[in-house]
Amino acid sequence: MTSAVPRPARAPLVRLLLRLAVVAAVTESGYLHAKLYVNGYRFIPHIGVMFLIQAAVSFAVAALLLVADEPVLQLMAAGTALGALGGFVLSRTVGVWGFTERGFQPHPDALVSVLVEAAALALLLAGALWTWRGRPRR
Amino acid sequence: MDEQNPADTGGKTGPEGMSRRQLMRHAGWFGGAVVLTVAGGEVISHVAHEHDKAAAAADDPHALRFVQVSDSHIGFEGPANTDVTGSFENAVGRINSLGFRPDFVMHTGDLTHLSTPAQFDQVKQMLSTVRTERVFVVPGEHDSVGDHGKAYRRAFGANTSGDGWYSFDTHGVHFLALVNTLSLEAFGHLGTEQIDFVRKDLAGLSSDTPVVVFSHIPLFAMYPAWGWTTDDSLQVISMLRRFSSVTCLNGHVHQLFTKTEGNITFHSATTTAYPLPKPGQAPKPVPQVLPAGRLKDALGLRSVSYREGDNALAVKEERLT
Repeated sequence: MTSAVPRPARAPLVRLLLRLAVVAAVTESGYLHAKLYVNGYRFIPHIGVMFLIQAAVSFAVAALLLVADEPVLQLMAAGTALGALGGFVLSRTVGVWGFTERGFQPHPDALVSVLVEAAALALLLAGALWTWRGRPRR
Repeated sequence: MDEQNPADTGGKTGPEGMSRRQLMRHAGWFGGAVVLTVAGGEVISHVAHEHDKAAAAADDPHALRFVQVSDSHIGFEGPANTDVTGSFENAVGRINSLGFRPDFVMHTGDLTHLSTPAQFDQVKQMLSTVRTERVFVVPGEHDSVGDHGKAYRRAFGANTSGDGWYSFDTHGVHFLALVNTLSLEAFGHLGTEQIDFVRKDLAGLSSDTPVVVFSHIPLFAMYPAWGWTTDDSLQVISMLRRFSSVTCLNGHVHQLFTKTEGNITFHSATTTAYPLPKPGQAPKPVPQVLPAGRLKDALGLRSVSYREGDNALAVKEERLT
């Protein structure tokens, strides 16, 4: 016999809002990387390609998350956010293929990018916890 | 955010508890994401190329296009490159086949290896075969061996100030060519006289004028332990802070490296002669011997383009392979 933790009637709405917030954060991260790519980062060896991939994956995942609440898409969203944050940290410390930047430059894109990627991760984690707490139990 | 769909629990269950149908569904969404990623990447690339026609600005008469080459070390003899002259000829050939005629070519120093008159004659003759409007140079420390740059200035010092520094304007961009190799102790050094020159030179410029600064040794602290910095460059950098776009292009380190600090972007160039180790990956920055066939991958040049009205210069690296 299985049972689930009882949820309030507004649960589907909360889940939808969480998903839309993730879509917004991932889209903004992709937009910032695409903008920097268009505005000159594409001429930086290796970094340009990484920015292009990050932007394209973010847009694709955001578009699909808009229509489907799938774990594989949530994992990909978390991957893009973690990848971007990891690249940010590396570029401020040991460098990425010889590319380094300092602080939250370029301003304000770097700061906004870090904030939306952290927000995306937090929202995805909240969604995962929500699902875990509501899972059927034996 | 995901909830189990009762319809998906059917089918055979694998060892990890995932049914075949679920696996197919995940694979389907993943595949969809890959397809959309490729399509999105194409769209972004298209937007980028439309946005910056400088990438294909051979037909834009107003675009500035120039080439930076560096560290040709004519006269070097060693296993790291047994034919630096041939490598530099290759670089000149690459410039002449870029598909556009650069407005100018800048050599950012270490034209020669030992500053002999014969080496200066040879590199000057080779540079004269570059199809461009003008050739500019700044000296490296190898261009002032034993004579404080006298032979260099005899060969390339016409129309320069002080120990060889100068500035010029074209296509709405202001260019500074600095000499930071003559008072070389442990680090690059500009000196008071040159810093005063920069101060006066920049004084009359509007803050929205794009500025490009050439030097041999990096103006930023790339790796001070090996002298890859300029000890008094902060005075010049502080003068450059008010400009909306500043690009500093240097040689010396024989490898690509990019760094941004606020409005200033620093680009270290690779070499046409031989690679040096990455910072800290060897006891000293001595020429690196690469496996056969790999040398050309480490050599290269840089093309830079700019259209009036753009905020930043577009920098593109070219290998000599």
